[in-house]
Amino acid sequence: MTESTPKVMHPPAPGSPHTLLGRTVVAQGQLSANEDLLIEGQFQGNITLEDHCLTVGTEGHLKAEIRARQVVVQGSVTGNVTAREKVEIRRTGRLMGDLVAATVAIEEGAYFKGSIDISRGEKPEESQDVTALPRLEDREV
Amino acid sequence: MPFAAPAPSRALQLLWQHLAPIRHPHFLECGPVSQSTLDVLLLRGARLYVADLITPARQNTAAFWTRRGKTAVFLADDFLAQIPAIPPESISAICCWGLLDLLPREALPVLVERFYSLLQPGGVLFCILREPYLAAGAEARWWFETLTVVGSSAGKQKPFPYPAVTNREMERLFPDGNVKTFLTRSGRREVLGIK
Repeated sequence: MTESTPKVMHPPAPGSPHTLLGRTVVAQGQLSANEDLLIEGQFQGNITLEDHCLTVGTEGHLKAEIRARQVVVQGSVTGNVTAREKVEIRRTGRLMGDLVAATVAIEEGAYFKGSIDISRGEKPEESQDVTALPRLEDREV
Repeated sequence: MPFAAPAPSRALQLLWQHLAPIRHPHFLECGPVSQSTLDVLLLRGARLYVADLITPARQNTAAFWTRRGKTAVFLADDFLAQIPAIPPESISAICCWGLLDLLPREALPVLVERFYSLLQPGGVLFCILREPYLAAGAEARWWFETLTVVGSSAGKQKPFPYPAVTNREMERLFPDGNVKTFLTRSGRREVLGIK
């Protein structure tokens, strides 16, 4: 699963939707998977879950370039995040890096520093027509 | 915190008229980012940079102050280091909301100069300044309800830490002095500086 093969602690209960990297896991390297992943430990490197969801738990600390279908940040992430669908930063989350996603949700109280770019399939009709705004008769002081 | 009624903004109308030809404007948001602001700006096609300068300014964060002798000195360069890496002259608009009312006078020239360096020619700095008679409200927050409507929390408890910035000061702060000021009924002025 990874070059450094982080040890998986507290394997998820049967039926759990996530593979869990527990809070005592410290790993670095390349991580890719074909299943959803919950990280509560520390990881440094690259994470690729092209068709799945990465959740950074409240105890998770990542310094990583992340590519996934969906990313949920409840802990701390430093690095760029690319999500095909959605990035969510929950109120306990901290993300420092550049986001590219189709949808971005940031809860009040979350910390974010970086840039946000929407991955868009160039549809001009989706942009609001600001040229149609009424002209101003400026009341300047 | 109670919310004030969303208010149409004449300054934002002018801002968007100014940016109308730009299909994907680059925005710098200097407040704690709200979901509404995200939705409005991203739907407009903006690339959004976020650096919450307002929260540490409002909290008067100790990390940005030092003492030289008996004088407290604001560390403007450390404060500005919170802005993410942005190419110079690449930003179409900067929303700094009420930030200028929360910083000491000596920090304002450095701050505005930095903003100016990030703005592309024709770029716009949007800010909200209190009127001198408004003594409290430093905890207020603002966001985009729509492209031209400003939402706000009606903070009225926390006193402003510094005297109000006058229109003339704003004209001196902004290089070339191309500043437009709009009165509102909320005790605040909306100000556009156009590069």
